[in-house]
Amino acid sequence: MNLHIFEGFGATMEEVAIALLPLLLLFFVFQIFFLRLPKRKLLDIGVGFLLTFFGLSFFLQGVHIGFLPVGELMGERLGAMDHKWLLLPIGFFLGFFAIYAEPAVSVLIHQVDKASGGYIPEKVLLYTLSIGVGLAIVLAMIRILLGISLWYFVLPGYIIALILVRFSSKTFTSIAFDSGGVATGPMTATFILAMFVGIASVTEGRDPLLDGFGMVALVALAPILSVLTLGILFQRKEKAQDGKSKERAKTAHHDR
Amino acid sequence: MDNIKDTILEVIYSIIPITIVITILQFTLIGLPAETFIQFMIGVVMVGFGLVLFLLGVNVGLLPVGELIGSALSKSKKVWMIVLFGFLLGVVVTIAEPDVRVLASQVDTVSGGEIPQSVLILAVALGVGIFVALAMLRIVFNISIVVILAIGYGLIFTIAAFTPPVFVPISFDSGGVTTGPLTVPFVLALGVGVASVIRGKTASTDGFGLVALASIGPVLSVLILGVIYA
Repeated sequence: MNLHIFEGFGATMEEVAIALLPLLLLFFVFQIFFLRLPKRKLLDIGVGFLLTFFGLSFFLQGVHIGFLPVGELMGERLGAMDHKWLLLPIGFFLGFFAIYAEPAVSVLIHQVDKASGGYIPEKVLLYTLSIGVGLAIVLAMIRILLGISLWYFVLPGYIIALILVRFSSKTFTSIAFDSGGVATGPMTATFILAMFVGIASVTEGRDPLLDGFGMVALVALAPILSVLTLGILFQRKEKAQDGKSKERAKTAHHDR
Repeated sequence: MDNIKDTILEVIYSIIPITIVITILQFTLIGLPAETFIQFMIGVVMVGFGLVLFLLGVNVGLLPVGELIGSALSKSKKVWMIVLFGFLLGVVVTIAEPDVRVLASQVDTVSGGEIPQSVLILAVALGVGIFVALAMLRIVFNISIVVILAIGYGLIFTIAAFTPPVFVPISFDSGGVTTGPLTVPFVLALGVGVASVIRGKTASTDGFGLVALASIGPVLSVLILGVIYA
């Protein structure tokens, strides 16, 4: 067997050291001039930095030896299939399952629950998000297969979002726009993106640079639109119920 | 100890589903050589192990730093200092963000070195830094987030007209990857800290919307990078 597991690990560690250095320097400036933390606390932070350093090194190494080359290869195989339409359901399942189990989503659900006073059922939000991200990846597949410019997806997407904002409460707007990140986790930005580059590179007339990228952008839009829409729908329901109960109170008053 | 168990579970949940779908695909449609598939599986284990260490490190060391700096800044009550250090924090955190690194290295490879990794990371970091600084101003002066979002997207669509088409997908993807496992908690901690000191506890929702702003910045800065390239 010819496996390359630690190939270039030294270079990766060097890259990570350089990446963490600015943050460490900024912390030292603060430590000297403002914070003056006790030694014990400093030790904790030092351990944290060390863990981050090794974690980031292993993560990037795994991405470089596993995710990127194999993701691209898988994309090439998939893109060369006879039945290209199969890419659409595959994309949907990848997106759906990526988000369904994503820990960041449960944090978002908790936030929405607090902001809406429990009016949006957790399951409804979870399925809306999962289906939304699944559809976003399907759209990204269609974009590659047909070679459509990213503008035709992103422009209407953000215009719809800004229109929805007009009907949304302030809290919901903030949560929705912050939620874009829940779907663009480490799996999406590494593996699925590499697959897309692979698909674009074997599809005739597509430039991997122009058509392969753009998937993350679509995936980031899905949660924003989902949360805004649900926020408005359930706000309506809440108001309608409020109205009804008020009316009921009125008629009850009349009856007396 | 609970912390470690939770982190491990969290990482497993976010990695397993896609790995299962890929494994099913491997045995039905893709059929890569066994060696390549094993290499992928080793990659999955390394990514998982790395993420666990990384998230633990962020929780033990990096997040407390973010909160401490956030509260030290807001106690100083000097607007220029909050804005300046908001900018610096945005920059240094983005430089260390794993998702940004991976995207930049992919762009580097696919473009055949035309758009080098370091240049893209620097552009993204500056974009995040400037918009974190703007977000701090927003909290201090109580500007509506909708106004900044509308102006931000307006600028994006204007500048995009002057940039080579190749940069458009990359710029929007850059906006997406800045919302990674380091930037989001760090920037949120900073924002919530500043908001709660400046306007009391009731204003805690002000901290939200920060991530949204932080992800507009890189879109703009990468588009501008494209204009410079052209």
